[in-house]
This record gives sequence, structure tokens and C-alpha cells, in this order.
Amino acid sequence: MLTRIWNLAGKEFIQLWRDKMILLFVFFGPVSELALVAWATSGDINHIPTAVVDRDRTATSRALVVALENTATFDADYYPLDETAAQDLVDAGTVLVAVVIPAGFEETLLAFEQPAQVQVVLDGADPAAARAAGLSAEGAVATFAQQIALQRLGHVTAGWGQVIKLDTRVWFNEELKTSNYEVPSELGFMLVGVALMVASLGIARERELGTLEQLLVTPLRSGELIAGKALPVLILSYTNFLLMLGLVVFVFQVPMRGSWTLLLAIAFFYLLIEMGWGLLISAVSKTQVQALLLAFMLMMVEVVFSGYAFPVENMPWLLQRLADFVPIKHWLIVLRSILLKGAGVDVFWRELVSLALLGVVINVVTIYLLRRRLE
Amino acid sequence: MNLLRTWAVVRKEARHIMRDRRAFFLVTISPVFLLLVMAYTFMVDIENVAVAVMDRDGTPLSRRYLAGLGGTGDVLVRYVAGSYDDVERWLMTSEAKAAIIIPPGFEASLSAGREAKVQVLVEGTEPTTANTAMQHIGGYTQQFALEIASAAAAKAGVSLGEGSLAPIELRMRTWYNPTLEMVIGFLPALIAVVMGMPAVTTTLALTREKEHGTLEQLIATPIRRSELLVGKLIPYVLSGLLGVILCVIVAVYWFGAPFRGSLAVYLMLSIAFLLASLAIALVMSVFVKTQQAAQLGAMLVFFFPGFFLSGIFYPLVSMEPIMKMEAYMVPTTHYVMISRGVFLKGQGLDALWPFALALLGMSIVFLGLAILLFKKKLA
Repeated sequence: MLTRIWNLAGKEFIQLWRDKMILLFVFFGPVSELALVAWATSGDINHIPTAVVDRDRTATSRALVVALENTATFDADYYPLDETAAQDLVDAGTVLVAVVIPAGFEETLLAFEQPAQVQVVLDGADPAAARAAGLSAEGAVATFAQQIALQRLGHVTAGWGQVIKLDTRVWFNEELKTSNYEVPSELGFMLVGVALMVASLGIARERELGTLEQLLVTPLRSGELIAGKALPVLILSYTNFLLMLGLVVFVFQVPMRGSWTLLLAIAFFYLLIEMGWGLLISAVSKTQVQALLLAFMLMMVEVVFSGYAFPVENMPWLLQRLADFVPIKHWLIVLRSILLKGAGVDVFWRELVSLALLGVVINVVTIYLLRRRLE
Repeated sequence: MNLLRTWAVVRKEARHIMRDRRAFFLVTISPVFLLLVMAYTFMVDIENVAVAVMDRDGTPLSRRYLAGLGGTGDVLVRYVAGSYDDVERWLMTSEAKAAIIIPPGFEASLSAGREAKVQVLVEGTEPTTANTAMQHIGGYTQQFALEIASAAAAKAGVSLGEGSLAPIELRMRTWYNPTLEMVIGFLPALIAVVMGMPAVTTTLALTREKEHGTLEQLIATPIRRSELLVGKLIPYVLSGLLGVILCVIVAVYWFGAPFRGSLAVYLMLSIAFLLASLAIALVMSVFVKTQQAAQLGAMLVFFFPGFFLSGIFYPLVSMEPIMKMEAYMVPTTHYVMISRGVFLKGQGLDALWPFALALLGMSIVFLGLAILLFKKKLA
């Protein structure tokens, strides 16, 4: 039985070897792509080009601009004369943020009678930048204002002017580097992509080209056929995982604080699940085009539920439940916990149980469907 | 180029698409389906971030401080810890994203006019959530300190103006998308991403003939290679255009996104994008022999760069120059700009021509390259 499985796996490898592009895509593609994407998106969203309309032109208004620039989020590169000129800059996409400080800002502020006003205009067409700029501006202006207020209060009421000092410590990702969150996610997508793509076409190709019938007349049993198709997928995607993990840990310096053995073992079982999905697609598709489109759609669904753009726990209730059925969600929690937290099974046993259930269900359905179709 | 012969290839390819019902459905519907799924996951605001609190002071003042913490809905006090072990466990499992710990002597220090400390522990694995929580806790604490200070000032007989509690009023305005509803801002860009699907199917159009051996039959006909390739392209451009129209309908009528520009301009520029991405798909399918390789290539060339480098999640302005160049080589980047411009800013060709020009340039270069590289003979 093992020989027959091995023979089929060998045939698959010969086929892969013959199309050199596949090997190039499978081994070089995801790794170089991960390097590229991780490099491009690893920084925080900062140095957003900003226009400043300073109609006050006082020491305080300049100090506010400096305070904004010190956040590193804003680059005050443009000083248009009025709001209309600022609007033109936003329209043209030259700047994404405009800060307007009205005349009399310092006077109003230091009189402490009425709040002084500052206007910040954001380019809502780029929501990611607008969100980052909005948060940062709010924080910088509030800190600036409260410093001024506390100075004054400390002056009039000696003793009570002291601040409550926050002693903030960030755990697991001490410098709050975005890349420590995003690079493991990106590894997750690339891995899902490779596993699904290679697995989903395996049987669909034989069916489309009519060679499935030839395989069926051999003494190969259906279970052996499935295993023989699955083996190359597992080997390819696991090698890919190792390459990408090396890149993530050694090149992008994402900390690895947990157990290597645990991570490597869980990764193997996770790949079994994704491969099950791929073979399931293979089982229900008649042509390779169908298999390809289904695999792409499944991959997109996995990507959006991976919590890359937004954390899953902030999604609507129904979508959160839907996300529970997507293996990558659980897998990325496990991956991040091991990498960043050095966590063990006691921390993420819920995710492991979910993965195990998903794995069993998906693979049982896949094997049942494939056997019925093959016999 | 003979139009009649090109037309024959168009009809043949269109029949291929139509005959496989499931594939036809997938080709036209998959972009809209993906748009729906993705848009719903973007209807997200980071609020009610779960935090744990531990009050080791246990005084009226410390209780008042903690009670006001969840007031604005940014954070939600979900756990009250009895010991540091609790805090550590919740942070480890991410059940709490931050913990606020008031040490003993909080009230005593403040009444004595000394600096009081509050300890904040943040679970940093999700930086966006962590930042939101930190910002909120910081702002709330400063406001709380100000209130105490002004109350004390009033007791001491100094009356303070309204301006001393909130000296600066920040007026935030978001143009083009005044409520900064995430989904409205992201929808136009998401259309650009999901419209990568037609290109993915196109990669298979030529490789299928190779794999089935029907390319030889085509080669034996008098058809020229430019006619063959253009003929292959047209049905996919048209089905892609159908996908664009469906996406616009869903975006405007289902999600209520504004469409401020001209539909004619949008469709025209969509054709330019489809031509550019499909031409790249053709170049790729010249090189690969099997549909499996074509599919993997499509994922690497269209899907990942389109998703990550096109400036949707990570603005182009924050990228390093070399990455920016890389991003502009991806057709999706230009289409994202066009989509945002037409939908949200109501821009026309006068503002969008650089992107249109880039897409047309790519179409011509890659179509030419495909025709040049595609040898009408067998290896």
C-alpha cells in the first residue's frame, strides 16, 4: 500500500518538476513576495504629507505645529496661505491632512475663557491614513492643551497641579511594532495560498485531462489515491512554511519566544486542514477553472477573517461566528501566541480544539466525497 | 490584423466561458461576492476594547477614577482583578487587552499634592488595538487630573474660566467621507482589489489550450498571433466589465457609497485597468505550461501585490521611495486611485489622466510583449 502511495506521489513530483515554473513559483514566489510585502508595510503609518495654515503666527501656534510634527505622523511640508489653497492641495492628493490654526489662537488660549479652536481636515478617501492621522492628532493636541492647562493650574493652586503619572508597560511587543503583528499574518496568507492552490488542482487536472480514468483502472485504491495526491502538497507547503518562518524570525526579527517543537508540530496539523479544503475543492470541481476560482474565493475569505485589517473581535457578531469556521483565524492566534508571548498549550487550547474539530470535519467530508466520486 | 478572424476567436472563447455554467457564474459573480464579504469585515470600529482593572488603593478617589474609565465606550472594563496573577493570565490569553492597576496610596499622594502613579499594562500583539486603548487611557487620566486640580482650585477660592478645563477644541473634519465610515472609504478601493479576479481566469485561457493540446489546432489555422491573443482578451474584458457594473451597483445601492463622478468615465478607466491586468496575465501564460502553474503565478502577481501594495491598508505616502515605485508597477494601485477619485472625490479625466495613462501604457507594453513572446509554433 505504501509503495503504491509513494509511486503516485513520485509521479506528482515528476509532473511538478517538468513544469519548472511551478517549482519557481512554489519555492521562490511566496518567500520573495513575503519579503517584499513585509518590507513595504512594516513601518507605522507616518510622515503623512500635511498642509498647515497658520493664521495666528505666534510662538504658541508654532509650538502646536512642532508638537504635531514630533509625533512623526505628520510632515508639515506645505504652508498654504488660506483654506482654499489647502483644499486644493487635499483635492490633488498632494497632502492628506490640513491643519488650520485661526488668528487669535494664542490670545484665546492663554485667556482661558473660551476654548481656542484648531481645525484638522482629513482626506477621507484614504481611510487607513485618515484613521491614523485622526488618532495621532487627537492625542498630540490633547497632550499639548493639557500641558498648558496644568502649567496654569499649578501656578494658581500650588500643590494640586501635579499630574497623575501613567506608568505604561507594553507586554509581548514592547515597542508596539506593527510588523510584529502583520508579518506573521502575511506568512499565514502566503501559506494558505500555496497549500490551497497546489491541492485544489491535483484531482481536477486529472479529471479534466481524462487521466483520472487511467489512474482508476490501476490497482490503486481510492484512499491511496487521495494519500498520494496529498503527500506532495504537504511536503511542498511545509517546506514553504519553514522557509517563510526563517524569513520572519531571522530577517524580519519577529521575536520567537516559545517552543519550536510545538510550533512546527501545530503547523503540520494546520497544513493538513488547509490541504483538506484544497482536496475538497478538487472533489467538487469538474474543470481546473472551477477549482481555481473556488480556491481563490476561499483564500480571499480566509484573508479577510485573519484579522489583518481589523481585529476579528471587533466584527459584527454574525461575522465573528463565521470567522470561527475559518482555520486561519485560529492558526494565526496560535502562531502569534507562540512567537510573541512564548505561550504554551494552556493559553491557546481553545484554538487547538477548534482547529482539531475543523480538521476532522473537513477531512472526513473530503475523503467521503472523493471516495464516492472516485468509485 | 484581420477583424473577422479575431472575432472568431472571441466567439470561441466566449463559448468556453458560457458553456461551463459553474465557471461562468464564478467569473461574473465572484468579484461581487468577494466585495460583499470584504466590505462587511470592514464595518468595524475599534471600540469597547476589553480591559481589566485592579484597585489596590480602595479609596473613594480610586473608585471614582476607575468608574469613569469606560465612560466613552472606547474601553470596556470587563474584568476586576484580585491579584497580579489574574492580570497576567488575562493578558496572556488576550481576554483583556490592557490592565489598569492603581497602587496603594493613590488618594493619599494626590491629597498631599504629590505625583500619583497608575500602572498600565498593555497586551501589545495587536498594535492598533493597543494604541487605541493607550490613547484613551492616557486622555482620560489627564482629564481626570485636570478635574481634580480645578476642584481644588475652586476650593482655594480661585475661579477658573471654562477654557482652563479644555483649552483647545479640536475640530476634526473628514472630507469626501464626512462620517469616516470605514466601509464607505474602503469600498472603492476594495472594488479595485476584487476586480483582479478576471485576470486570474485569463491566465488559464491560453494555458488550457496548451495543456489540452488544442493549441496545435489553432496554430494550424491561418490565424495570426496578435489576432489570437486579442481575441482571447476581449471576452474576459467584457465579462470583467459586467463584474465592475455589478460591484458599483452593490456599493451604491446596498452599502450606500456615494458615486460623485461620471459612470462613463469610470467604466472607461475600468476597461483600461482590465486591459492592463489581462495583458500581464497573457504574458505570464506564455511562459507557463500548465494551468496549475498559471494559477500560482496569478496569485503571486495579482492577488498579493494587489492586496498589500496598492495602498489600501498601508498608504503609499508612508512607503519608502523604492517600494512606492514597486507599488506603481501594480495596475491595482492606479485603479485604487481612480476608484477613490471617481467615487468619493467626483474627479474626472482632468485629475485622473496620469493613472489612465499609466494603465494604457501597461496595456500596450504587455500586450506587445505577449504577442512578441508568443511563438506560434510548438516547442
